[in-house]
Amino acid sequence: MNRKNFLSSLLTIGAAGPVLAASAPAKTQTITGVNIPPYLRPGDTIGITCPAGNITAKEIVPAVQQIEAWGFRIRVGDTVGKKDAIFGGTDAERAADLQQMINDPGIQAILCARGGYGAVHIIDQLDFSSLANHPKWIIGFSDITVILCHLHTNGNWTAIHSKMCNSFPDDWTKAEPAQVDSILSIRKALSGERMQYKAVPNTRNRYGRAEGPLVGGNLKTIESLAGTRSDIDTAGKILFVEDTGEYLYSIDRMFWHLQRTGKLDRLAGLVVGGFKIKPDDPGEEFERTLYDIVTERVKAYNYPVCFDFPVGHQKENYALKYGIPHLLDVRDGEVTLTDSSIPAATHIPGA
Amino acid sequence: MPIIIPPCLQPGDTIGITCPAGYMPLEKAQTCIDTLPAWGYRVKVGATLGSPSENYFSGTDDQRLAELQQMLDDPAIKTILCARGGYGLTRIVDRIDLASFRQSPKWVIGFSDITLLHTHILTRCNIATLHAPMAGAFNDGGATGPGVESLRRVLAGEPQTYQAPVHPFNRQGSATGPLVGGNLALLAHSIGSPSEPDTRGSILFLEDVGEYLYNIDRMLHQLQRAGKLKDLAGLLIGGFTELKDTTRPFGASVEAIIRDVIGVTPYPVSFDFPVSHGKENVALKIGATYRLRVGSEGTVLQE
Repeated sequence: MNRKNFLSSLLTIGAAGPVLAASAPAKTQTITGVNIPPYLRPGDTIGITCPAGNITAKEIVPAVQQIEAWGFRIRVGDTVGKKDAIFGGTDAERAADLQQMINDPGIQAILCARGGYGAVHIIDQLDFSSLANHPKWIIGFSDITVILCHLHTNGNWTAIHSKMCNSFPDDWTKAEPAQVDSILSIRKALSGERMQYKAVPNTRNRYGRAEGPLVGGNLKTIESLAGTRSDIDTAGKILFVEDTGEYLYSIDRMFWHLQRTGKLDRLAGLVVGGFKIKPDDPGEEFERTLYDIVTERVKAYNYPVCFDFPVGHQKENYALKYGIPHLLDVRDGEVTLTDSSIPAATHIPGA
Repeated sequence: MPIIIPPCLQPGDTIGITCPAGYMPLEKAQTCIDTLPAWGYRVKVGATLGSPSENYFSGTDDQRLAELQQMLDDPAIKTILCARGGYGLTRIVDRIDLASFRQSPKWVIGFSDITLLHTHILTRCNIATLHAPMAGAFNDGGATGPGVESLRRVLAGEPQTYQAPVHPFNRQGSATGPLVGGNLALLAHSIGSPSEPDTRGSILFLEDVGEYLYNIDRMLHQLQRAGKLKDLAGLLIGGFTELKDTTRPFGASVEAIIRDVIGVTPYPVSFDFPVSHGKENVALKIGATYRLRVGSEGTVLQE
């Protein structure tokens, strides 16, 4: 580990990079019904909690040091270091820790330490009503998709879909640029920058432009929310999906599920992120690629579709502003997804 | 709305065998094909069984759909036996035309992936189907085992009574209601779709194979959050076979997971019921009314 070097190199990046937005509003901003918590300013506090899988106190050190270097304060929740089987404490402990952070007016954002599994155990116990008085960002992905979907459906709250504590590298000098950029994008998103992402063009992309709130997340988790009060309505929205460790047949079944539950027919656009695919068992070769599966499912519709978007269980997993209107532009040789809640004029050059 | 129970079979009736989902070589169904005539029935083997398909499925979606449709519509076929599950029903189920089947119901037999066809037929048509062993279960002596034997008896119209041993997590009590259920993954998959069953007032049964413990937990939470475990008449937990666990152990048995998710229930619950991907898999009429008694001596499920 070479933390000293890493930190100094990062501070350099920070100095050359974007200046933190100076005039972020202190109250919830509401754009076409979407409730956007105030973006963070230096000195604001980010709480770290474990609503799902467990993490040790040592494992969050790289994230804590980095976030403090960004100028934010850190509050470490009681569940960090707790362990109950695979969970970061019992259901009651995890719910209490997250609830306390939701209620605390001194916390401006809540970073989930890691995903794993378990958010669904506590989601119905949580009371998000104090967000109306103390709006704040909730940050995470994978199993945390449960919370992001729930917040979108219940209150139209926006959130940050991004890497979590367990993805901050121990040694930044050895981290790949994509991983570093992905981590740094969390700061940009939290600080109120107008986010713009590019994806490598894929020949299977379907061209077009679309605008709508960005929703989605882990595909398996989205499927497991069907029929529940955390289920998302995707009509008029840009849906992004990613997954890991699933067989192709299972991915096919999940895309059929999206279709059969009415989540594909009225989309504004579809963004397909990374899928780490579990190899077929011998004799059970599915013989369709992810691209085939998706193309087949969306052929009846006209909206833009892009593949290989840098979101998922991978190094390139950029912070996405969940629930916020975005513009998706898929064209020959270029794919961009742009936060359309912030006018281009406020974009800071060089960011 | 009353559930329509298809007629039982008469000697000389024809059973159609089809593969609406995964591929199956003909030889794996041969014992089944040879056994059904010994029960007094004729057999019509569809082209999807042992088809020239070289991929996962037993044929294209169109081929699988066409054969299932033909067998549903053909008045000369009195029962349809799905040769195997695997994966594939969801790709064709919305394109099945159930008009003719509604007019002349017949038994549709299968389990696993076929669960989706069962819940679809029950939800769309109010017609009972048969959750029972498929062609592969006849192999390796299975043709004379209790599971296949129960299928033979049900097809012949004999009312069945099934028993399960005492289990420490059982909740005693009695209940009467229509049976609904099957493979947990497919039931979860049906939620939000036109094939989603209404479980209220029903005796729900669940089984699964090859799932991670955390995923079983997640699916059960989905069922619960979607209201599928509320207002049941009773709950039967079958076999959860070939379980997998994550590198970090989940730390609870499947029985404990189920016990914890359902919490305190006003309805009887019975574990170790003989429905599974393993050897124990009795024929259950989905949609038909059963009486369930979970007592200190064990569990009895009676038509």
